[in-house]
Formats: sequence, C-alpha cells, structure tokens
Amino acid sequence: MNEIKPGLLQRAIYSREELSGDYFILWIWDEALGKLCRPGQFFEIRAHASLGDAEDSRCLPKLFKPISIYENAGGRIGFFIKKVGSGTASLAKLKAGDTLELIGPLGNGFPVVSGRRILLVSGGIGYPPLWYLQKELINHNLIFWLHGGAGQSDVFPCDEVWTMDGSFGKQGMVTEGIANLLNDKKIDLVFSCGPMPMLAQCAAICTNLRIEHYASLEAYMACGIGVCHGCAVPIGNPDKWDYLRVCKEGPVFKAEEVLWNLM
Amino acid sequence: MEPDVRMQTDLGRQKLYSPITVASGTFDLENLDFFDQEFLGAFVSKTITKQPKVGNPPPRLYETEAGLINSIGLQNPGLDSFISVHLPRLRQQLKVPLIVSFSGTSIAEFQEILEQLEDQEGIAGYEINVSCPNVENEGIAFGVDPKVVYELSSALAPHTQRELIIKLSPNVTDIAKIALAAEEGGATAIALINTIWGMAIDHRNGKSRIKKGIGGYSGIGIKPLALALTYKAAQSVKVPILAMGGIYGWQDALEFFWAGASMVALGTANFIDPLSVPKVYKGVQGFLAERDLYLGELIGKCEL
Repeated sequence: MNEIKPGLLQRAIYSREELSGDYFILWIWDEALGKLCRPGQFFEIRAHASLGDAEDSRCLPKLFKPISIYENAGGRIGFFIKKVGSGTASLAKLKAGDTLELIGPLGNGFPVVSGRRILLVSGGIGYPPLWYLQKELINHNLIFWLHGGAGQSDVFPCDEVWTMDGSFGKQGMVTEGIANLLNDKKIDLVFSCGPMPMLAQCAAICTNLRIEHYASLEAYMACGIGVCHGCAVPIGNPDKWDYLRVCKEGPVFKAEEVLWNLM
Repeated sequence: MEPDVRMQTDLGRQKLYSPITVASGTFDLENLDFFDQEFLGAFVSKTITKQPKVGNPPPRLYETEAGLINSIGLQNPGLDSFISVHLPRLRQQLKVPLIVSFSGTSIAEFQEILEQLEDQEGIAGYEINVSCPNVENEGIAFGVDPKVVYELSSALAPHTQRELIIKLSPNVTDIAKIALAAEEGGATAIALINTIWGMAIDHRNGKSRIKKGIGGYSGIGIKPLALALTYKAAQSVKVPILAMGGIYGWQDALEFFWAGASMVALGTANFIDPLSVPKVYKGVQGFLAERDLYLGELIGKCEL
C-alpha cells in the first residue's frame, strides 16, 4: 500500500506541449516529488483557484481532476491530458508559468517486474500511464504495445495501432488484436488502461488464457484520498466482493478480481 | 494553536474552541495531512450502521454546474468494525472532540447502536442521521415525520450525557416542525441540512450520470436553500444549530451564523479545496477581530 502522505502542492508549469486533437501535456519540475512517484499512480490536479481567500467566494470553483503520471524523468513530471469536460477544459487553458495545484502522488501503481514477456494495451487517454510504465520496464522485460483510439488524432507511439474509423493502423477495436498476439509473442503478463469496455474485453481474453493481467481503472472522484468512497468499484470474486476505492486500493487492480459485469 | 475566545461555541453541552466542523462522509483522518486539526471545533466521522453496508453501484458521483451529486449509499464497515478498527485510530489521532455519526433502520436499532457506543471512550457526541428508510414505517425516512423524530430523539436522549445532534433532511415539507420535535425529544443540537435530491442526465444519450438515478446534491448550489432552512429552524428551536450546505468560503459561514447557526460544517468544500477549513476559520476570526465581536454576538442576528 501507498504509505506516502498526500499534501497540497503548488507548482509552476514550466512548459506546455500541444499534441494532436484535444490532447496536451503539462510539465512541472520537482526532483523530490519525482522520487515518490511510481508508474500507474496519479495526481489530483487543477488550475490554481482556491476558495475562501477571495474577497467574494461566489465564483464556482470545481473539483480536482485525477490525472495519471505520463512521465517522470529526474523530477520532470508530465501530465498528458485530454480535454473532455469542464475540468479538463480549464486545465487546457493553462500555459507555461501558470500555477498548478496538486495532491499526490496517489494510489497504488503497477507491479514493477523483470524477466517477463509483457503486452501493454491502451485505449485513447489510457495511453499516458503505460508510457511511464514501459519506460520503467523496458530494460528488464520484453514489451509489445497495442494502442487503439477512435481516429488518427488518438494515436500515439507504440508497436501496433488500431483505430475505430480505420484512419490509421488496423481498423477495429484494439482488443481484436490481443488474442493472436498473446500466442505469437508468448506473452505472460498484460497491463492495460483505457475505456471500461476495452478493459473488460481484455480481461475476458486474459482470464480465458490464464494470463496475468493488471488493469488501471478510471473513475469519477471527489476527494482522491480515500475519504468519500465516490470512486468505488466492485472487486473480489462473485461470491465475496466489496466496493474498493480506485483512488486508494487502485487505480491498478488484478483484472480477474474486477467484477466487470457489475460496473 | 492558541484557542481564540471569540470563536468559542457549543452544541448544547460541551464548550468547543472553533465553530467550524466537517460534514459526515466528506472528511477523515487523511484530511489532517493538509492542516492543523485544531482549526476544527469537532470531528464528525462518516455515518456508520449496525451491519456493514456495501454501498451503491457506480457511478456514484457527478459534478454539476454548481455542486456535486453523490450516491455512495452509506458504504461503511458496520458498527463492530468501527469500534474495533476505526474508533481506536480516531481516538489516537484526534485532539478535538469526536462526534460519531450513525444511522439505523428502526428506533430499536438506533438505541442498540447508541448503547454500544456509550461503552466506548473518547466520543464527545453523536450525530443521528435520520435520512434513512425506516423499516417499521413502510421504508419512509425517519426524518420526514415530526412524530417519528420526536420518538427517536426521546428514545435516545435519556441514555447519554454526550451531545445528541439530530441531523435533518431538507427533503421535507416543514423543517421547523421537525427541528422542534427533535428538540422536544431531548436533542442537544440540530444539524441541517443533509443533501437534497439531485439528478443529472447526459443530454447526448439520455443516460443518468448516477447509476441509481437520484442522488444527494451538495455544494454551492444548495446554499440558499440551506440558509433558508437554517433560518427557519433557528426561529423555532432554542438548542444550537449546526448548519451546512454549500459553505465554501468564510463569507458563506458568516451568513449561516447570522441566520442562527452556532456552528457550521464544511462538506463538498473539503473536496474542492482541502484547505477550506483553516481558510474559513481564519476568515471568520479576522472578521470578528476587526469588529471586536464575539461569535455569539452575531448568531441569529440577521436583520430583515
């Protein structure tokens, strides 16, 4: 379990990188913080706008957004974000020099392994945590990476690309490519992150072939620190399960323990 | 932290050194990593029930234009686990009075829980969550019927010397009558409001944002309602009122004091800014100092 105490931090954005479509990266710099981070962990982040110290509190500040760590190189920490709702839209307005508020690193990351034949499967904005993970694992494991998205603006560097509209790579759901690859590459471990249906399908295939599989789940969060139970997902086996918190016990779970049919 | 006499208040029996607390279920020991706990007049724990509750299916949360909808379903490990695991941790780490929130499905069950908690040390009071269905009354929430609220508080009051705070639901026709019933039954304080009903639907596909459809709506959007109900309840009872509902900044807190609250709780604000409690404390403290006022001098002094 993650025993590191979260705090509320303010860090300047030192650069902002534009990617295709609605994607962008915000970079901060903090060596000490970087040392605490593990692949698969996330931060609660938002544009600096705190309550209570304004002359008039009648503005409508919003919740922090859980954003996974995309890269962590000697304290150069990147948040790879997709503009989807109002929270990420406010993050999209940020530029270099602006202040980011952060809580974290939060949650439990992926297991760091060696000597394994690993398949990474990502969909859309599930890509960033696997980038960080593969950087940590690449020297000690064989890795093959499948990534899928709606169209070509959702495509990022990896070994094999799938798009729903066929505008780039193979056409179809990224999960269509999994079964063959697991065989051909003699994969013995799968890490996945992406939309829930993709994870569920990936889990079904891995369970069927008895291949170890860890999935990083996404959930709507209010507190991010295990207090509100808003992000809970059903974990266990069909006879005995409980709602565990994506922010605290997750976001990475053993995929066979996630009760996908209850989600 | 030096206690400030201007900020002293109470919830019936015990003197409290800050008029700021937290709404049940929005705050736990993890939050104390963010600030000195002595900004809190008391610590209110998450509602527990006799049996463990698994909670509602996800999605459980949705952030609206102005506030939050939740549908947690009172997920909690149950009374026994609270007493053996969580309570010792709370006792060990808290330096401020602990108020334990609990709920039941019948008056007898509320009594049983109270009895068991009475055997435990380190509890300053109880917050009775009456927003749950009453199995002996067709599943209608306890908090909607003044008669039932009276029965409940009079069934509990004789058995404790600790604070007995009845937390009312806003989803009722006349909150003043219900507050009065709680007071007549022996409550030492009234807490209000719990969340109001709320719903959100994805306009693109008609899908409810919350799995169970209707959830509890909290945050800035409910502040005018919470303030009105606080004012209304304060007109009808003499016991202190612990008010909550959309309090984000210290200015909001002051409005509730003027309306008649002796203490305020922050809920959703803790999610939006983990430093809300100390900020609200300092804001209120600064306001009082500047005008050379004590908190008690403005409670309920709203002018029409």
